[in-house]
Amino acid sequence: MSNYIERPRYTCALGGAIATVEALPRAIPILHAPPGCASNTAWTQAGGCGLQVGGYCGGLSMPGSNVQEREVVFGGTERLEEQVKNSLDVMDGDLYFILTSCVTEVIGDDIGAVVNQFRADGVEIIAAETGGFKGNSYLGYDLVLQSLWKNFIQVANKPVKGKVNLWGVPPYYDVFWRGNLAGLRELLISLGLEVNTFFTVDDSLDSIKQAGQAELNIVVSNVYGVDTAQLAQEKHGIPFIKLPLPIGPSASSEFIRTVGSALKLESVLVDSVIYNANQRYYRLLDPITDCFNDLDLQRYAVIVGDANYTEAINRFLIEDLGWLPQVAVITDSLYQEQLEELGRKIKPLPSGLQPKVIFSTDTNDIRNQVKEYWNTHQSGYGKYLNPLSPSFVIGSALDRELAKDIGAAHLSVSFPVANRAVIECGYTGFSGGLRLIEDLISTIIIGR
Amino acid sequence: MSYFDQKEPPRREARLNACIACGGTLEHIANRKMSCCQSDGERSFTQNSICLLLPALGMMNSIPNSVVLMHGAIGCGSSSHGGNAGVRAGNNHRWGIVKDATWISTALSEQDVIGGGEEKLAAAIREIDERYKPVIIFVVASCVPGIIGDDIDGVAQQLQPEIKANILPVHCEGFKTKIWATAYDAVYHAIGRVFLKEPADANKLNQPEKPIINLMNVSSMGRVDEVELERLLKSLGFAVNVFPVFSQPDKMAAVTQAQLSVSTCPTHDDYLLQYLEEKYGIPYVLRHMPIGIENTSLWIRDIAKHFAIEEQAEQLIAAEEQELKAALAEFRPFFAGKKAFVSAGEFRALATAILLAELGFEVVAVRSFHHDEFADNEYEKLVKVTAKEIPFNIANCQPFEEANLLRRIQPDIFLGHMNGNATAAKSGVATHVIYNVGLQYVGYKGAYELARRLYRQLQNPQFNQKLSQWTKLPYSNNWYEQDPFKYIQQPEVEAGE
Repeated sequence: MSNYIERPRYTCALGGAIATVEALPRAIPILHAPPGCASNTAWTQAGGCGLQVGGYCGGLSMPGSNVQEREVVFGGTERLEEQVKNSLDVMDGDLYFILTSCVTEVIGDDIGAVVNQFRADGVEIIAAETGGFKGNSYLGYDLVLQSLWKNFIQVANKPVKGKVNLWGVPPYYDVFWRGNLAGLRELLISLGLEVNTFFTVDDSLDSIKQAGQAELNIVVSNVYGVDTAQLAQEKHGIPFIKLPLPIGPSASSEFIRTVGSALKLESVLVDSVIYNANQRYYRLLDPITDCFNDLDLQRYAVIVGDANYTEAINRFLIEDLGWLPQVAVITDSLYQEQLEELGRKIKPLPSGLQPKVIFSTDTNDIRNQVKEYWNTHQSGYGKYLNPLSPSFVIGSALDRELAKDIGAAHLSVSFPVANRAVIECGYTGFSGGLRLIEDLISTIIIGR
Repeated sequence: MSYFDQKEPPRREARLNACIACGGTLEHIANRKMSCCQSDGERSFTQNSICLLLPALGMMNSIPNSVVLMHGAIGCGSSSHGGNAGVRAGNNHRWGIVKDATWISTALSEQDVIGGGEEKLAAAIREIDERYKPVIIFVVASCVPGIIGDDIDGVAQQLQPEIKANILPVHCEGFKTKIWATAYDAVYHAIGRVFLKEPADANKLNQPEKPIINLMNVSSMGRVDEVELERLLKSLGFAVNVFPVFSQPDKMAAVTQAQLSVSTCPTHDDYLLQYLEEKYGIPYVLRHMPIGIENTSLWIRDIAKHFAIEEQAEQLIAAEEQELKAALAEFRPFFAGKKAFVSAGEFRALATAILLAELGFEVVAVRSFHHDEFADNEYEKLVKVTAKEIPFNIANCQPFEEANLLRRIQPDIFLGHMNGNATAAKSGVATHVIYNVGLQYVGYKGAYELARRLYRQLQNPQFNQKLSQWTKLPYSNNWYEQDPFKYIQQPEVEAGE
């Protein structure tokens, strides 16, 4: 591990936890933290999450203990107790969620005692220990989910056939989380399943509470939320499958097939769902065929993204869009075994194409490595040059300088997305693939 | 002993007796000379707020050829993703080059919390010096080093002989103060203590043809506002040195060679300006904020008085005011009697409220993020142009008090700080951001531009009105029945209405 990370493409565990609780229906986060942790999250969201800040109780409206030196010296549980008590009067929510910070964890405040005291009075309140030094925002997402499974979701007597839960898409730090979750739900509904996605506007705390009835947990990530799935398996006996975020028809077909086989669904049903969805996708894509060819819209590509997006976009570009990814960069700070697993996932696809895979957390390092690759991969003779052009960088807003360096077009998809407004757009499933094509091509032809 | 001899600047709670919790009426605070609230006043219910790290990053990220090295957990400093748009635009407006800020985190882990992070910090400084070759490395401490006892000053001092960059330790431990204006002191402290040369070494050879004025900007003004103030100062024959935002490190030293330093917001600059006076003999003006017609004129008069060019200044002021007032005439009938609610940093809120009164609005409520003595005069100015009994609230954000007040007051327009307009918007009130470095607010031109934007905003507030019909603020119905200042723990405060 390096001694520093340049321009980290995530925030801390607390920031990720805040974003996750903000996305739960009618949940009220209560921070046990110094005053700035909430605004740091809000400004991070304003700058990196496609202009989405907060939620029902987000931004600076989150209650918090605002700990100061006094609490550092004497302990902060009394202040927290007072804060929770008054939060119940002022704030209108269905679930109160205490999140701890670096400061309150180092000073060793006993949050459990505070939570238990209010729970004993019938208050719907739970907590997660999310000190920022524990890890990044993706860990915070996992810790909130784990707390839900430990403290909120009821253990069911037996699973209900056809009910599944899905996660692995962290709210806000996957900037397209709403659309991505909705897109995945759509795929599962097409198989006749009832789906709990926790964080969309169509989810409710009641359905989350019943999540223990599911017969399968589906995690669409190799990293995010995997520990939660293990916990749910141990505590609730629900098996899980872990599979990549599916973007476009190839990955989505495989997603449906994998889920179908895990649930032992009729293969006739699975085949027909896949067939119909592909047919619909290509009927929609059909009219763009002329211009796609006439405008010569194939590109060499660089993909810079988190552990979910890089693999997913690489696969879509190669297998469905017929582009040529040259370099795929994964920007997460991960353990060696996770890196190896992710590296293996970006294996040669059926077409045999494979980009160079780079793991780097530093924007300047990524920029230099990709430039180096671009510079050393051009051939030609005399006045005849064969550089990697035309090209496209699918990354974050931080990769615009790289795109400029290699003369590529650019689209922000992975956090931070500073230069797009995102509300409902998502890239998962069949429709998501079409959406990504729209966005990529619109970027290329913007000056037309 | 000067504050600058200490490693850290004092908290503003201690240095200025600044406070953050008060509720009552405007009259209650005006003319009370700081007796309205006690510095230890607090709330028994609080929402979260801002810490000094955030505005400090706004300053540091703007400095060209610098690297901001956050010493803390991985999340501290991620607000730079939000600030980066301003850095890109700021670079573009000044030099025509779009360039991102470079911030870096030591990403302290659980292991570092136990074992200490100084070695990691030292290694990071060495690598950064080599790799980025910056002129300045800001080494910024957030909460964790402050608790585990990492000594950023010691590390900086020890490494400086082998490091080419200037290492500037900046203390931004968020648990140490609730007055985030301490941020300005923190950054100024580092620049003054470590970066500025001793008076004997400061280059006095180049005697300028025109007197130089230091125009202080801690990132609350965009280039467009600097241009307006430069226009006014240049027309009086001055050269202008904007400091410190977007100041090239090699030109920063010029701040010690000016004839006068002028603050654009007394909340921002007193700490450094006193230091520049004591150490370099540069007098300063720190009284009015050049927002609003009268205030801009007063701001110019103070400067003119210092150089004894009052007559020239009066001519400029008369011409500017005449032209502006004529231009504003078309908006006045539309603004007349419309009710305005203002919420922002103390000076900004008060100066903007006075401007709104000048434009013909009826100011019906004011909220300030904190209170200190520098604003006493501003309250007296405000109370002359508005009703005395209007609600007044000192709050470091605390939107629940704002939501309660909004429901009672029902203003036509609300002007709030960045991240501070959502409550009013979801309450169905027309809103306008009181501070956004891309927009123009300052000087005569700023007054006109603000009026123009309010005129536009008020013509169609449908976005907020529809929003209010379909969204809900996260407060219980019961809360709106309560005294908005119920949770302020201050025995002597009168109950608000």
